[in-house]
Amino acid sequence: MTIGAPGWTLDVFGMSDVGKERSRNEDHFLVATLNRALDLRYSNMEGSNALDRFNAVAAHLLVVADGVGGVAGGDLASGSAVAALADYLGPTSGCCYAFDPDQEHEFIEKLEGAAALADQRVREHSPSGKGPATTLTMLLLLGDRAYSVHVGDSRGYHYRAPRLRQFTRDQTMGELMVDEGVMTEEQADKAGLQNVLSGALGNMYTPEVGLLDLDAGDAVVLCTDGLTKHVSDEEIQEVVASEASAQVAVERLVQAALDGGGSDNITVIVARAAPEAA
Amino acid sequence: MIQKKICLVGVYATGKTSLVRQFVYSKFTDKYHSTVGVKIDRKEVVIPSGAVNLVLWDLEGRDGHGDVRPSYLRGASGIIYVADGTRPGTFEQIFELRALAEKTIGTVPSVFAINKADLTDEWQVTDSQIAALDASKWHALRTSAKTGEGVEATFQWLTEAMVVGGKA
Repeated sequence: MTIGAPGWTLDVFGMSDVGKERSRNEDHFLVATLNRALDLRYSNMEGSNALDRFNAVAAHLLVVADGVGGVAGGDLASGSAVAALADYLGPTSGCCYAFDPDQEHEFIEKLEGAAALADQRVREHSPSGKGPATTLTMLLLLGDRAYSVHVGDSRGYHYRAPRLRQFTRDQTMGELMVDEGVMTEEQADKAGLQNVLSGALGNMYTPEVGLLDLDAGDAVVLCTDGLTKHVSDEEIQEVVASEASAQVAVERLVQAALDGGGSDNITVIVARAAPEAA
Repeated sequence: MIQKKICLVGVYATGKTSLVRQFVYSKFTDKYHSTVGVKIDRKEVVIPSGAVNLVLWDLEGRDGHGDVRPSYLRGASGIIYVADGTRPGTFEQIFELRALAEKTIGTVPSVFAINKADLTDEWQVTDSQIAALDASKWHALRTSAKTGEGVEATFQWLTEAMVVGGKA
């Protein structure tokens, strides 16, 4: 899907694959545009073309979520979280269009509010507090600025030639132990703590909030750990750097994860700020 | 409640993220994570005139690949310039970064945090250099994100400067 954005064209694609070992897909993702309400179809009004501006794209929403909980309904958790975001941000898309840079804090609070609603929806499936949970990595692109809210160990990467960098931090027990100085990375790896979440919606969580500005030629990648278990950062960088098409990049990354073993569900979104033709 | 945006600006690996982490969560880690873009945190601070909600923008540090993006500074009420007292080069670049910030948003209250004061054996910033900053009416503090030295004082001073005024 190729959609318009100020200064560059956003080429974005996403897909999810169950992988080779799991019987069901507990990942969910969303690629959406937030538009102004009026969709002009036909009119004999003078200057009616001007009304079409009301159908301009206000923002782009990209989300990946990786449910955990197995039979307890990890897919239910990730699906509920993504649906909650759409429910929350859809009706408030006007705030994107009427975005006031001087009130950016309020806008960021709205995004945190969306994550809080998603957490609440997930908890509805877990009255005992021991039910399913989900990771959530969300980007809202407004103009050339990408706002991020992140919980768990799904990942967000930013590519600006020549390097790819992870802009999220993995919220795992392993990272926590290393941060606290209790363990070395090797010890945390050995103990299997790098795969245990320290924060997730539906459980304890502290959202990591941030933003970054995109330039023409930049790209972002959102993915669940089904990709990063099998595909290194260097390989992701090579694919993003070499593929001009977001769709081809996503398909190559998912295939690489499958070729690497496909031990988990794999979900990838690539969004590229493609330079506009002169 | 009054809300104020503070940007932390400096060269890469000077400890901007660690200062925020120490101030907000009272935690420190030796593991280095480079910030990509901006990380945002909040903390409420109480000063004599009342409570203030600080919105802390921890900006990606300047490195060989890119400079501080002026667009991130927009709307800031205060700036903490962070240098690494064990790397004199990071100290010198603060003057360039201040010029960039003032060109972008004008003059706002600011503090110069000379970080990593716990690394006494490697410390290379002299007291006379710090005194020279004070003489130029630039408030400078030795800080350690590891021990907490000067951290609370840095944010507290800047908060009062932003709200009460009279300090730049």
